[in-house]
Amino acid sequence: MINKLKTAIVGCGQIADGHISEIQKLDCAEIVGVCDLEILMAEQAATRFGISRYYDKFGEMLEKENPDVVHITTPPQSHLSLASAAIDAGCHVYVEKPFTPTYDETVKLIEHAEEKNRKLTIGHIYFFDPPALALREMVSRGTMGEPVHVESFYGYNLAGPFGKAIMSNSTHWVHNLPGKLFQNNIDHLLNKIIEFVDDEQPLIKVFGKVQRTSRLGDIRDEMPDELRVMIQGSSTSAYATFSSHIKPTAHFMRLYGTKNIAHADFVARTLTLEQEPTLPSAIGRLLPAFNMGKQYKREGWKNVRRFLRSDFHFFAGMHNLVSRFYDSILLDTPPPISHRDIRRIGWMMDEIFRQLEEQVKKS
Amino acid sequence: MTVLVTGSNGFLGSALVERLAIHGIQGIRCFVREGSDRGRLEALKKKYPDAGIEYYVGTLISRESPVRAVQGVDTIYHLAASLGGAPADMFLNTVVTTKYLMEAVISENPDVKIIHISSFSVYGVADLPAGATITEQTPLEKHPEKRDPYAFVKWHQEKLLLDYQEQHGFPLVILRPGVIYGPHGGAISGRVGLQLGGIFLHLGGNNILPLSYVDNCAEAIVLCATQKSAGVSVFNVHDDNLPTSREYLGIYKRQVKKICSIPVPYFALQFISRAVERYHHYSKGQLPAIFTPYKTANLWKGNRFDNAKLKSTGWTPIVSTAEGIQNTFDYFKENS
Repeated sequence: MINKLKTAIVGCGQIADGHISEIQKLDCAEIVGVCDLEILMAEQAATRFGISRYYDKFGEMLEKENPDVVHITTPPQSHLSLASAAIDAGCHVYVEKPFTPTYDETVKLIEHAEEKNRKLTIGHIYFFDPPALALREMVSRGTMGEPVHVESFYGYNLAGPFGKAIMSNSTHWVHNLPGKLFQNNIDHLLNKIIEFVDDEQPLIKVFGKVQRTSRLGDIRDEMPDELRVMIQGSSTSAYATFSSHIKPTAHFMRLYGTKNIAHADFVARTLTLEQEPTLPSAIGRLLPAFNMGKQYKREGWKNVRRFLRSDFHFFAGMHNLVSRFYDSILLDTPPPISHRDIRRIGWMMDEIFRQLEEQVKKS
Repeated sequence: MTVLVTGSNGFLGSALVERLAIHGIQGIRCFVREGSDRGRLEALKKKYPDAGIEYYVGTLISRESPVRAVQGVDTIYHLAASLGGAPADMFLNTVVTTKYLMEAVISENPDVKIIHISSFSVYGVADLPAGATITEQTPLEKHPEKRDPYAFVKWHQEKLLLDYQEQHGFPLVILRPGVIYGPHGGAISGRVGLQLGGIFLHLGGNNILPLSYVDNCAEAIVLCATQKSAGVSVFNVHDDNLPTSREYLGIYKRQVKKICSIPVPYFALQFISRAVERYHHYSKGQLPAIFTPYKTANLWKGNRFDNAKLKSTGWTPIVSTAEGIQNTFDYFKENS
């Protein structure tokens, strides 16, 4: 059995920094090489993180380093070909979201990994963020009852580091994705929903628009920045909001169960519960505010304790995902995110972008 | 004479375009990105109709885009650089863009004169004794990876240009400004201190601030570019009568707004820096190592500065430091 995984990274942009930092925290893995088409980008990542070897040819890195795992952090248009090459070289693969630009490519990649018996995962980091893990535990304890409805909200800051990179460059790869900005982000919306909407292909209704008023006179003007998605499964429904304009830039989900309503806040890292009042009349209206205050206080102190234990990192979800993925390789257990879920999200994204395109044509 | 200016609509870039126009350059090609704010350049076009200010719209994050931009120009003023953001993005927008620009230069216009705007941050002064004077002969940083992302990318950008120059032999003028300031510029420099919540940590103390008023800096760039020299010339750029960090902050408090500041002496800052660095390692990066003993020694050990070489070109500040600070703080006050 392998004790220490040899890991390699392809694509040395912003998100690669997060991957490298999280991998370097693990005792079970060592980064043996980084690669980027632009050798200077590979060199800067290697220099900053103390990685001894860097490449501008992926094939050469695979051949020389013979890694056990490859993290693909390139633009999604290259995911299928790079991941397939890594799988053919015998590597397990972590693919950054969005998995591929289309559902068809997603299916191809999954089938290829299954055929070659290699592990595959997708960068759904918030699926393993502390509030998501806490909510999952709450659901498994039966606190929520049966799920009835899910609400997922993902705010996006166009003036933030990622947003600026997209808005300042009309040739940025995001503008060439079928779903543009949405496609690069709504994995974070949808993976919270598919956990509770179990249908292969639920009913979906989509509304999207460009809310920005400033016009740049190029392809960037066509990039929608507000999205609403209604989803109806056989037993559970969902509503998803992606917004680039609502402030503060929030990120939360609400799970509506037959017993309680849970609110998982991914910015404040809190999980709170709204419950039926236990006392009658006006008194029943007095107590919930105190109850919520008590819950937030408890969650706040929980976070402080985590911080003091050095367990409150920015990329906690990525750390948990990478750690679980590597465990699945070392122990030969199923990967942390099922291939079925990766496929279902791929299908939902295709359907959302198909409807958006139809709306654009009609308008 | 036609010149190309990258970063032309930035804080220093627009000041440089104005100085070029004042010096009678006719044919100023401004490299601008699609959709970028060209308000100040538009005003200069109206103010200096004979300067031939024109736009070249493109991006330096592309091998193709700079190709036509560099054709037919006599001098390239390379100011484009990233001032903030994620480290990888800063590197892409500063170093990789410089590589693509230079590839275009070598292919299309290999004898063009390159004027590169570097930074004081490329010097490695951590190992120098306190009070050492930084001149053009001061050694460059040996460990840029230990510095902040801005110093890291500016060091690599300059090294890349020096490597290209060594291979291809074009005339290269490197200007290393200190703290460029002025109206429309950023707020208080990090060399003075750091805003932490409602408190300003005053880190600079008695350190001399290597201020360079934006118009003085632009004037220095124009004059150094006209020096007749082959190979590589390097000039440090800062003004005269430099204030200490404490004096600068004092004027700010009197003229702009009152802020609650806590002076942190160098020995205390070194102690804090060691603690921050240790905690960063212990916690596996839960908090960033914004201070390390190495970074602190580079910025706040108490260096002196020398602009004698710049003055040998005939440069003198067109705006005195007292007037420059006044102009800047008036602007801050109006816009605060």
